[in-house]
Amino acid sequence: MEIGLNHYLVLSTILFSIGLIGVMRRKNLLMLFFATEILLNSVNISFAAISHYNGDLTGQMFAFFVIAIAASEVAVGLGLLILWHKRHNNIDLDSMSTMRG
Amino acid sequence: MEMFLYIALFAPLVGSMFAALFSAKPKTLIAGIIPSALLFVSFIASSILLVYVLQTGSSIHVEMMTWMATGELYIPFGFVVDQVSVTMMMVVTLVSTVVHVYAIGYMSHDKSFNRFFAWLSAFVFSMMILVMSDNFAGLFIGWEGVGLCSWGLIGFWYHKESATWAANEAFIMNRIADLGMLIGIFLIYWNTGTLQYDEAFAAMPALETDVLTWMGIFLFIGAMGKSAQFPLHTWLADAMEGPTPVSALIHAATMVTAGVYLIVRASPLYDLIPNVGLFIASLGAFVALFAASMALVNRDMKRIIAYSTLSQLGYMFAAAGLGAYWVALFHLMAHAFFKALLFLGAGNVMHAMKDELDPFKMGGLKKVMKGTFIMMTVASVALAGIFPLAGFFSKDLILEVAFIDNHYIIYSVLLFTAALTAFYSFRLVALIFHGEERYKLFGIDPHEAYKFMLVAMSPLLLLAVIAGVFKMTYFEMVTQVLPATEYHIDSPIVYWIITIGTQLLVGAAIFYAYKKYTSRDIKVPDGTSAMEKSFGYKLLSNQYYIPYIYEEFVAKPYGKISAFFWSEIDQKIIDASVDGIAKAFYNTGENTREMHSGNLSTMLKWMVAGTVGMLSLAVVFGLAARHSDGVASILSAIGVK
Amino acid sequence: MLDNILSILIFFPALAAILGFVVDKNSIRTYGVAVATIEFALSLLLWFFFDNSASGMQFMEHIALVPVFGINYIVGVDGISLFIIILAAFFTMIGIASLTDTKNVKNMIITLLFLQMTMVGVFASLDAIVFYVFWELSLVPMLYIIGAWGGPLRIYASVKFFLYTFAGSLVMLVGILVMAYLYYQTTGQWSFAILDWHRLVLPENYQLWLFVAFFFGFAIKVPMFPFHTWLPYAHGQAPTIGSVILAAILLKMGTYAFVRFSLPMFPDASVYFMFPIAILAIIMIIYTAMVAYAQKDIKQLVAYSSVSHMGVIILGTFALNIEGISGSIFLMIAHGVVSGALFFLVGVIYDRRNTKLMSEFGGLAHVMPRFATIFGIMIMASVGMPLTINFVGEFLSLLGFYQQSHILTIIAGIAIIVGAIYMLSAYKKMFFGKVTKEENKNLPDVNKRELIALVPLVIITIWLGIYPKPVLGPISNSVESLVSLMHEKAVTKEAKARIPNPSTLIIRTTAQEAY
Repeated sequence: MEIGLNHYLVLSTILFSIGLIGVMRRKNLLMLFFATEILLNSVNISFAAISHYNGDLTGQMFAFFVIAIAASEVAVGLGLLILWHKRHNNIDLDSMSTMRG
Repeated sequence: MEMFLYIALFAPLVGSMFAALFSAKPKTLIAGIIPSALLFVSFIASSILLVYVLQTGSSIHVEMMTWMATGELYIPFGFVVDQVSVTMMMVVTLVSTVVHVYAIGYMSHDKSFNRFFAWLSAFVFSMMILVMSDNFAGLFIGWEGVGLCSWGLIGFWYHKESATWAANEAFIMNRIADLGMLIGIFLIYWNTGTLQYDEAFAAMPALETDVLTWMGIFLFIGAMGKSAQFPLHTWLADAMEGPTPVSALIHAATMVTAGVYLIVRASPLYDLIPNVGLFIASLGAFVALFAASMALVNRDMKRIIAYSTLSQLGYMFAAAGLGAYWVALFHLMAHAFFKALLFLGAGNVMHAMKDELDPFKMGGLKKVMKGTFIMMTVASVALAGIFPLAGFFSKDLILEVAFIDNHYIIYSVLLFTAALTAFYSFRLVALIFHGEERYKLFGIDPHEAYKFMLVAMSPLLLLAVIAGVFKMTYFEMVTQVLPATEYHIDSPIVYWIITIGTQLLVGAAIFYAYKKYTSRDIKVPDGTSAMEKSFGYKLLSNQYYIPYIYEEFVAKPYGKISAFFWSEIDQKIIDASVDGIAKAFYNTGENTREMHSGNLSTMLKWMVAGTVGMLSLAVVFGLAARHSDGVASILSAIGVK
Repeated sequence: MLDNILSILIFFPALAAILGFVVDKNSIRTYGVAVATIEFALSLLLWFFFDNSASGMQFMEHIALVPVFGINYIVGVDGISLFIIILAAFFTMIGIASLTDTKNVKNMIITLLFLQMTMVGVFASLDAIVFYVFWELSLVPMLYIIGAWGGPLRIYASVKFFLYTFAGSLVMLVGILVMAYLYYQTTGQWSFAILDWHRLVLPENYQLWLFVAFFFGFAIKVPMFPFHTWLPYAHGQAPTIGSVILAAILLKMGTYAFVRFSLPMFPDASVYFMFPIAILAIIMIIYTAMVAYAQKDIKQLVAYSSVSHMGVIILGTFALNIEGISGSIFLMIAHGVVSGALFFLVGVIYDRRNTKLMSEFGGLAHVMPRFATIFGIMIMASVGMPLTINFVGEFLSLLGFYQQSHILTIIAGIAIIVGAIYMLSAYKKMFFGKVTKEENKNLPDVNKRELIALVPLVIITIWLGIYPKPVLGPISNSVESLVSLMHEKAVTKEAKARIPNPSTLIIRTTAQEAY
């Protein structure tokens, strides 16, 4: 059996769902970052797969962009996370509700 | 001559304004004398105009200034003195001069003496506008003006609840009719393009009968209100709450006859629509009988005379409806004299009896009030239509008109009413002036009115006696503008039978009334006698329960519906739904603020839910667009291809 | 100066209001009266130099604001707007002169002067955007007046007033933008000038939609049934001066806008919606008159009577002939004078007794005869007694509509009956009978300051009732050209038939006047 586009897309979907559930369910900020990374990478997989399938490099270009942005996001996010942890000694999402309306 | 026209018209206004200057001040005799003098001036000017019209046979027409002008509409303040209006002017100025002078005495103890004359003269001014105007809009000014003054004068003693109630009733009833009048005016304007009498009447023969019929009906509705015809009659009896001079001037001699004047004025219209005329005559005959029947049992002196007025107005409408306009106008004139006299006499009696109105509590007053006794008796004889007094020439003529035109039902109704008229008039006279002196039981010490009041009344007395003399002169004058139908019964035998028969009938009624009500057995009724318990008596003394019906089925429901509209519909439906919309926005915000818990996790969940929602919407729309053109066009309209 | 008189009229009060902040508290009243009097004198000057025989716009000014989109500052007056501007200046003047509220009087006068700017601005502007700006700005001072000086429910009332009318105006704004876009599509140029729009002939279906959009803005302002419920609250809670200005001028914005926008821009839609609107107007006349009868509070009664009379104005406007439209414009002025005066009168008694409940009074004619007389005159004017100002307007409005529909006019005519019912019964409750309440026995009659406001109103009421020509003439001229414009523009057959062609009328007035 040859591994085709559909397999990549199914993998991407499964990863996306895992990421989405992680985003919704996780209460730990660090875990949330992981979930976000999974989301982004699932998209990266589909970008790369479709790009290859179409023979068009734009998708892979985009995947690189996403990786770069994800990296910077994690960098900034982790920085803030550490700051928050220093101040409040936890990184539980439920304790962060200063924006309550 | 134009100068006299303006003097006749504006002298009462000047008098009214003069009196009004003093209206907030305590009684000042001059506030009564000046308006009376100015009215006399107006009377003189009217007389000069009468002589002029009589001699030259021409009319005077002036246009003072523009009132309303827009588009095609042009309404001036125009006045015309012709044979018809000059007759009315004479009646109005004469009776009002007499009433003014009389009122100086009658109102002398009233603290609002000055205000009374301001209103009374204002009334005369409005009445003069009404009769002198040369167009329907001007007529309407006077029409509403007399209604306003009547309101002010009925409610003159405004501390009395009954008086102010009656004033409002009169005004509102008249307003109902005025709507009809207004619609009539609109009809005339849109069909003839003008409101000037002469131009409008000239254009009318070319119009369709339907349109003319509606015009006639609506104008007559207006006349019904002012002349208190059934079913808008209840206000007239209640209007007796006003001071007696007011009843004499407004609710007997002048204002209530405005409806008849309108029909006479619009005779070219009503000549074209005999069917409406017949209806008017039938209603007139009905009202004559209807009102006379209520007068039979009433125990309020002024109300009896008021019903008698109503009954006589019915006669006038009967004549006018049958096309005998000049007869109607003649009866209007004669009636003004003797009815005003009757009312003023009743005013004297009221003063003597300390405002007691029940004739059963009087009796035997002829000894102390000789002058008043003579005047009221003469007025009643004239009203009954006994030869050779005024009523004979005018009222019997109406009977003849009905007879000659072969309207035998109307004739017999009117004839029967004539007998009733004689009966209730002399029932009143007998109860007041003859028989036992029952007033002594109530400890009243009656006295005759001031001499000058009796002198003031004397012109009316004279005219009530001799008005018939002027019949031919009058006939020749007014028939220059009104249809000159002479009413003669062809066969002399029939004529004499009818005339003498009528006289005998009336005489018998008078005799019976005298016999019944001068007897010593007359007591103040206490509601125990068999007659008072009978259904007929109750029906009549409660005015056929019509005021009760109006109160229960019109006035009260109106109040209830109004309250319902306000509390239920306006507040609970309309306003509540407006507030509901506002609340819906507010509540949406209030309920959804929970979403902004500030918890990142919850927000993320909402974000996911939103994304899923949007995506599924996109799918649904995509599918729908593929299968339906309607959705596709909407999507393209909002920019989605 | 005459070239810029309209701009002066609009912005002079605003500048004076800004200067008012530095005026001393004790002399602010004099200052306010002086400014308002100058403004009124200027408006009279405007009338004096107004060419009565011309029907078009006069004293036009034109300053480019955003020329790319055709938004310009254009102002001008014709017979239709002239008298409402004068009325606005007049009411501001007597309003300030007779001001009895002493709390924060400085702010009140400054607010009133700002309000005056917006009022004159609305009636003078001939550019839809400028019009819209003044239209919305006028809400702000009124919001402040009701909210700051009002009764116990003032916040609710003022917010309701603001949001309700504002919501309607937003729909109107959409209409304005669409109209401008259509103008751009048709002519290739942007223009918000009302006079340009007047010349644009639109297909009927566009007219219908645009008419509805504008209708919401105007109808809520008028206010028409069933959008009227903000009015009783606003009046009930507003201080006297607020009610007076609201009833006399602000409500007229709606009816004026119908004449200025809806009729000439959408003649076919006007004909199409004539009967539905007439039916609304009739419901408004009779229903609110009955609601007025049920009121216990005299001010609410006058407020509802106001709505009832506005119904007659709407009816006259949608008569679509010269008689009806002239009558309705005249009635706007008449109703301004009469209802303004009635609110003043209610204010007089409120100042003395601090209550507006009719049951608290009774027999006032004994203690306050002059007050009773003036009240009586105004009540009679309000019920449409001939020779008072209201009658001319009501008569012409109803007469005009009679040409369109007999039955509806007869039903609308019930106005004169129901009007008499609630007004007379209110008068009876307040003034007739015996003085029953101890507090009423020694009430002082109207004083000089109140007479300053009331006597001129009585004089106008009677003067224009007897001799309406100075006002009716210019109105009639402008309306004539309006009607002929509508007749020419009308697309559908029905509209052509419904809107008379004035040029075929035999103009009797001119012939008669020559004679």
